[in-house]
Amino acid sequence: MKLGFFSIDLGTILFSWINLMILFFALKHFLFKPVQKILSERQAAVDRTLQDAEDARTRAEAAETEYTEKLAKAKEESAEMLRSATRKAQQRSDEIVAGAKAEAAGILQQNREELEREKRRAESQLRSDVSELAVLVAEKVVGREINQNDHARLIDEFIDSVGDVQ
Amino acid sequence: MAIMALPAFLQGSTELSVTGPKVVTSFRIFGLTINLTETVLLEWIVMAVIIGLSIFLTRGLKVKAVSKRQVIAEMAVEAITNLVSDTMGKRWLAFTPYIATVFCFSIFGSLISLLGFRAVTSDFSVLLTWALMTFILITATKIRFGGVGGYLKGFAEPIPVMLPINILSEIATPTAMALRHFGNIAGGSIIMGLIYFGLTGLSHMLHLQVPVLTIGIPAVLSLYFDLFSDFMQAFIFIMLTMVFISNAGPADDEATSAA
Repeated sequence: MKLGFFSIDLGTILFSWINLMILFFALKHFLFKPVQKILSERQAAVDRTLQDAEDARTRAEAAETEYTEKLAKAKEESAEMLRSATRKAQQRSDEIVAGAKAEAAGILQQNREELEREKRRAESQLRSDVSELAVLVAEKVVGREINQNDHARLIDEFIDSVGDVQ
Repeated sequence: MAIMALPAFLQGSTELSVTGPKVVTSFRIFGLTINLTETVLLEWIVMAVIIGLSIFLTRGLKVKAVSKRQVIAEMAVEAITNLVSDTMGKRWLAFTPYIATVFCFSIFGSLISLLGFRAVTSDFSVLLTWALMTFILITATKIRFGGVGGYLKGFAEPIPVMLPINILSEIATPTAMALRHFGNIAGGSIIMGLIYFGLTGLSHMLHLQVPVLTIGIPAVLSLYFDLFSDFMQAFIFIMLTMVFISNAGPADDEATSAA
C-alpha cells in the first residue's frame, strides 16, 4: 500500500516530530557539547597564554626601568667618585706644592740669615783686626803705647768715616 | 510491463509512476490509524548516519594537536554557530543545535535520493512537521517576550480590521515553508524521473537494447535538481526559521535594555 504523492499523514508527522527531537538531542549531546567544550577550553588556554605574555611583558618593562635607573645611578656615582677623587688629588697636590714651596722658602730664609750672620761676624772680626792693626801701627808710628781702649773709639770713628764695608 | 531478456536493472526506467511513500505497517491507537511509512524508516537511516558521523568526528577531542576529524567537527560547529549568530544575533545562540538539526536532516534526507531511495524531504508530512515546529517556536517566542495578552493583541495590529489577514499570514508562514521545500525536492525528483523515463524511451527508439542515453546525461541535470536544490532548500528552510524566530522577539537594543 502506498500513500498519495501529496498527502498529510498523521503517523509520519508524529514519527517525524519524535525523530526531529531525538536528532536534536543527539546532535546537542554528541556534537555540540563536546566541540563547544573543547573550543571554550582552547579559548581559555589562549586567554591564559595571552595573559601570561602580558604579565611577562609588564615584568620585563619593570625590570628594564629598574635597570635603567640603576645604571643611571651607577653612572652618576662613578662620575661623583671620579670628581671627588680628582678634587682630592688636586687638593693633595696643591698641599704638596704649597708645602714644598714653604719648605724651600724656609730653607732660603735660613740660608740668608746664616749668610747675614756670617757676614756680620766677619765684619766685626775685620773691625777688631783693623783696630788692633791700627793700634799697632800707631804704636810703631808714635813710638809709645797707646791705650787700646782709648783709641778703639778713635779707630771706629775712622772706619765709619771711611765708609761702610761694602 | 516491458518483457525482455535483459535483467531488470539494465532495462532502464520503463514505467513512470508518481506515488507517495509505502506504508510499511500501520496500527490503531485510540481509534486513530498510525502509519509507519517508508519515510520514517529512511529518517532512521539518515539519523543513524548523522549521529554516527557526529560520534565519529568528535572521538578523542583534544585542545592541542587536533586531528583532521576534529578540525571538520569544529569547522562545522563554528560555521553553523556563526550563521546563527549573524542571522539571529548573539542572544539567540541557544537555537544553534536545533538549526543544525533541521539543516542536517534536510540535507541528508534529500541526498539519500542519490542512493536510489525516496528522498525523506519529498514527503510533505515531514516538511509540515518541521514547519509546524518553526511555527511553535515563533509562537513560543512571541508569548515569551510579549505574554499571552501581547501575543493575542498582536493579531489586531496595526488596526483590528487586519485580524483575518494577520491570522492568515500566521498560518501562511509554516504552510509556505513546507510547500516550498516539498515542491522543490519532490518536483526535482519527478523531473529526474521524467528524464530517466524519456531517455530510456529515446534509447529504445534508437533500437538500443540497453538504454545507453541514461548514462551520464542525467548526472549533469542531477547536479542541479538533486545536489544544488537540496542544499538550497535546506539553507532556505533554516534561514526562514531563524529570521521568523528572531523577528518574533524584540529588537536587539530593546532586549539588552530590558536585561
